[in-house]
Amino acid sequence: MRTVYRVLAGLVAVEVMLQAAFVVYGDAGLGIYVEEGGVIDKAGMEAAFESGEAPFPEFIGLMLHGMNGMMVIPIIALLLLISSFFSKVPGGSKWAGIVLGLVVLQVTLGILGHSFPILGALHGINALLLFSAAVWTFYRSRRLSGEASATPDVPLDRVAV
Amino acid sequence: MALLLALAATLAITLPLGWMWNASRMPDTYSVMDMGVHDPGLTVAAAGHVSGGPGAHQSGPPVGSAGNGAPISVRDLTEKEGGTPDVRVRLVAAEGSVTIGPGVSVPGYTLNGTSPGPTISATQGDLVEVTLVNESVPGGTTLHWHGLDVPNAEDGVAGVTQDAVGVGQSHTYRFVLRQVGTYWYHSHQVSHEQVRKGLLGAIVVAPKAATAATTAADLTLLSHTYGGKRTLNGKVGEQRLDAAAGDRVRVRVINTDPGVAPAWVSGTAYRLVAIDGTDVNEPTPIEGKSIIVPAGGRADLELEVPASGAARVQLSGVSLVIGPTGSTAPTTRAPGQSVDFLTYGTPTPLAFDPDTADRRFVYSMGRRPGFVKGRPGIWWSINGKLYPNVPMYTVSEGDVVRMKISNHSNETHPMHLHGHHVVVLARDGKPATGSPWWTDSLEVPVGRTFDVAFVADNPGIWSDHCHNLPHAQEGLIAHVMYEGVTTPYRVGGSSTHNEPD
Repeated sequence: MRTVYRVLAGLVAVEVMLQAAFVVYGDAGLGIYVEEGGVIDKAGMEAAFESGEAPFPEFIGLMLHGMNGMMVIPIIALLLLISSFFSKVPGGSKWAGIVLGLVVLQVTLGILGHSFPILGALHGINALLLFSAAVWTFYRSRRLSGEASATPDVPLDRVAV
Repeated sequence: MALLLALAATLAITLPLGWMWNASRMPDTYSVMDMGVHDPGLTVAAAGHVSGGPGAHQSGPPVGSAGNGAPISVRDLTEKEGGTPDVRVRLVAAEGSVTIGPGVSVPGYTLNGTSPGPTISATQGDLVEVTLVNESVPGGTTLHWHGLDVPNAEDGVAGVTQDAVGVGQSHTYRFVLRQVGTYWYHSHQVSHEQVRKGLLGAIVVAPKAATAATTAADLTLLSHTYGGKRTLNGKVGEQRLDAAAGDRVRVRVINTDPGVAPAWVSGTAYRLVAIDGTDVNEPTPIEGKSIIVPAGGRADLELEVPASGAARVQLSGVSLVIGPTGSTAPTTRAPGQSVDFLTYGTPTPLAFDPDTADRRFVYSMGRRPGFVKGRPGIWWSINGKLYPNVPMYTVSEGDVVRMKISNHSNETHPMHLHGHHVVVLARDGKPATGSPWWTDSLEVPVGRTFDVAFVADNPGIWSDHCHNLPHAQEGLIAHVMYEGVTTPYRVGGSSTHNEPD
């Protein structure tokens, strides 16, 4: 179960990385589209989001960012929390809870960012917090060669013997 | 022991989620009458009933009521006026491709081989008969007359006022055009997809008596996005209308997309002469401002071709140049400011008193996580609840109804009530001071509250939904139901699978 926990934690980190890639890819495409004289209003955006038939090819990045962020990542984070109950990782549930909490905050900031751009800025900062938390959760859950269990938030090899 | 605890914790998380998921699943087939929470909205100060609607265009005969208390079926709420139709149209819906420019085609649906379908032009008072033939639209189709307050049986909502018309079947709609102005028709079966793919067209109703000041040209500009490309009347890019200097031209803008489309004019000043079909009283000249046309909404613009050059009517990425051959007008950016319908034009008295409302409703839109139709997500809520636990606004014929519509979500919502026009009384508590703002497609921006009123003069069961059609499909839909009216039609089902949104 520890492996499941580890894989899920790692997945969250990889997913956050993908999210950053998707949104910048989409925004860059939008920038080129506008610079080349393309115009888009809400009617055009909504039609594109609905149909997937986009005015510029990189639009797919914006769609993937939305679907991945609002559906896939929350489900992974939830599964991470559940797997923590069964894996004997000390403090595993606490860190899974922190990851899930940051995911919820991240989705909220992402949605509100459409109305208040400053919250979109926090969405960017929180992404780094979430990424770090996921990487740390992954890292600290490794099975140590010496002692099977017992890992505080400071890895054993750093603890003076 | 540890394992038991782990199991308990897992159940503590999954059971509520599972329960919520299960509760949100819809049965295979259901009636909209069984959906949601009955909301009578009764006020104590229910005074005598007043009839009459938005100005002269609305005065039709009452369409029947359950006088003896027996329920009336939607099926029987048909057009009462008989006789030979003045306008007969046959529309054949088919799967095919839509050509939007030289060599540019996108897959979609057509009516009589084209999309947009043929424009239905008629005169006020005409009896119209439209036969819809479904040649090859999979899953069936219907036609809804957006903005026309037709009898309920003719409203074209699959699963509420009729069954979807399957492949090889046909359905005939009959109604009298009591209103004048610009309207449109579109499918109301799997509408979020069928409208996008092209099952739509324009309707223009001319007044019975020609107005004193007629225009030299009258043109419909139906804006629609096919395959990611914006078009006017189904064509991409710039279009031309030849007109002489000094000619007065009326341009009827129809926004069929799921979001607002700003429209603006360069080269001359213009006036907004009608909103959603209803004439604006004493419209003033507009310069350097755009018109925000809501999803599903219409805006009629009137302009005079300038002595020098031409005028250009613009929407995002498309435009129409109006002027003598060879003339042109610059393409401009959308103005930052837009015309506020709340203060535009000059007031006239209403035919009813909204202060003596018999019913008062609240339509408060929000957004929250949960399950809709078994799917997890962050969904639109109405009065704090998710679909299908939405209000069923219940009225009686003759009631004066007030509704407070507010948007606490993070996206705008174009609200569309079928079968009626509402008049905007106030926005964020600020009373309307312009020409009476009658609308059927009201853009409700984030954080805004509108007070609207209407007269319940058209019995039936009427959708009251967001015309960002994907939002309606995601559950942002409620109904206004008249007491004593029932529907035999059901949403879902296997033989005719009705899926209105």
